[in-house]
Amino acid sequence: MRLNGVHIEDTFAEAFPMLGTRLIVTADTPAWAEAAVLSMTGFATSVIACGCEAAVERPLPPDETPDARPGAAVLLFAMSRAELAKQVARRVGQCVMTCPGTACYAGLRDGPAIPLGNALRYFGDGWQIAKRIGTRRHWRIPVMDGEFLCEATTAAVDGVGGGNFIILAADRRAGLAAAQAAVTAIRALPGAILPFPGGVVRSGSKIGGKYKGLIASTNTAFCPTLRGTAPVSLVPEGVESILELVIDGVSAEAVAAAMRAGIAAVAGLGAAGGVVSVTAGNYGGKLGRYQFRLHEVMA
Amino acid sequence: MSGVVLTPREPAGPPIDMTGVLPERLAEGGRDALAGAMPVRGRERHRLDALFTLQDGGPSGTLILRPGAAVLDGVGTGMSAGDILVEGDCGAYAGSGMSGGSLTVEGRCGAFAAAEMAGGRLRIAGDAGDFLGAPLAGGTRGMSGGSVTVAGSAGDRVGERMRRGLIAVHGRVGSLCGARMIAGTIVVGAGCGPGLGQAMRRGSILLSQALEAVPPGFVDGGMNDWLFLELMRRELTVGGAWPAGFPAVGTRARRLVGDRSVGGMGEVLILLKA
Repeated sequence: MRLNGVHIEDTFAEAFPMLGTRLIVTADTPAWAEAAVLSMTGFATSVIACGCEAAVERPLPPDETPDARPGAAVLLFAMSRAELAKQVARRVGQCVMTCPGTACYAGLRDGPAIPLGNALRYFGDGWQIAKRIGTRRHWRIPVMDGEFLCEATTAAVDGVGGGNFIILAADRRAGLAAAQAAVTAIRALPGAILPFPGGVVRSGSKIGGKYKGLIASTNTAFCPTLRGTAPVSLVPEGVESILELVIDGVSAEAVAAAMRAGIAAVAGLGAAGGVVSVTAGNYGGKLGRYQFRLHEVMA
Repeated sequence: MSGVVLTPREPAGPPIDMTGVLPERLAEGGRDALAGAMPVRGRERHRLDALFTLQDGGPSGTLILRPGAAVLDGVGTGMSAGDILVEGDCGAYAGSGMSGGSLTVEGRCGAFAAAEMAGGRLRIAGDAGDFLGAPLAGGTRGMSGGSVTVAGSAGDRVGERMRRGLIAVHGRVGSLCGARMIAGTIVVGAGCGPGLGQAMRRGSILLSQALEAVPPGFVDGGMNDWLFLELMRRELTVGGAWPAGFPAVGTRARRLVGDRSVGGMGEVLILLKA
């Protein structure tokens, strides 16, 4: 398949089931809401070493938040319900509750409950107050600037982690421009996030390595500098830079939609923009439950 | 299937205890089953259709009561689902022990409305009597869930021993509002009588008018912003329970904490207009 002169390889992205949740963080100003969620989603690029994958889904205007203040929606994904609960409690406790003026609410309703305020209320040292408003229970935890208002629980959904596509570009500048175009397109969509810095990965990995105990090591087949020396190289002539976008979503449909939007944005720059081809990362289909075939996604 | 309209055949006479005349009965067995209910009038039980005329009318599954001059006690007592609309006044015990469904009273209610209520929704367009949302006589647990909205005023001991849920009174309340309250929320649109929150342990009482003095046993926690009030206002505004006299914006309130004489951490929040 060719789109605007860009070769779309006939391959698939292999993705995995993850548990995810959405949180709504609000604050007095957009800047403080941003400060809270950037802190909360920091060091959350890969479950391999971070415990979870998380990113800001989108900023929220006051008319879309429960308390009529500016905020942001955040998606977090982990490999198990217990790990998701642990990460939610730690990150909200250390990064949101600590941030001046913030409040935190569940962004999903249906699904198994994940403790949110229920896990943080003990910080109130007995002075915390439960308040049911409508059908939703909240905790009011006294803090030094007033009260930290936090919904009691959020919900976990069966999400998908590891959706991806890989951009092969003529040089680093062209690759980065293509990746940024894809990031912009994907961030406009609901239900999916790009957990890596700026939404882009430059150090894609393969499973294991030559050193004992290594979980993952550099993806030698896609390292342009190893063409000719690595046992296997998938870097074609004329490609100097390769970047990957990893996508987590609340559903397979959300991941597919994000891949479609991202690849379309990359193809929009075309061969004239220095984009050579688009491929995807997989493990031969043996590890992940989900396979996103690029040709089907772009059909 | 339409709803059923009940009109007393003889409005004059002793009160009629409507316990057991519920929309669940209509939903399960139809109009015949409803007609077989045996409300009490005076000292005797009567078939419902001996005391009332039954006519089709209203939305499906809804009971519509047109009491006229009759006194109907226990309307919606023990109700768990469905809708009751009372086109007039209710006697005592309206919605007592209710656990679900919706009871709407277009007139006034007597004492013990929503007493020991556990769920559902009670809306009263007029005034309510004493013991709104309180325990029944001899009981130790007040309202434990659901919501009550009173567009008029209410009597003494509103929300006494309340454990959960919401009571919103747009007008005044009498003495001992929220006495021995354990949790839940009471919203009072106008003034309140003496003994506010006496011996309350937890829970919130929201006022929009400053008190002449801090109630005995309470301490002044000062002014602050209370974000949960925004959520509360949004929720109650949609249901028509946010009193007109309450601020439409802003979350500032003065907080009184008590009743400290019993180690209580309940709160009286006096909302200020922005």
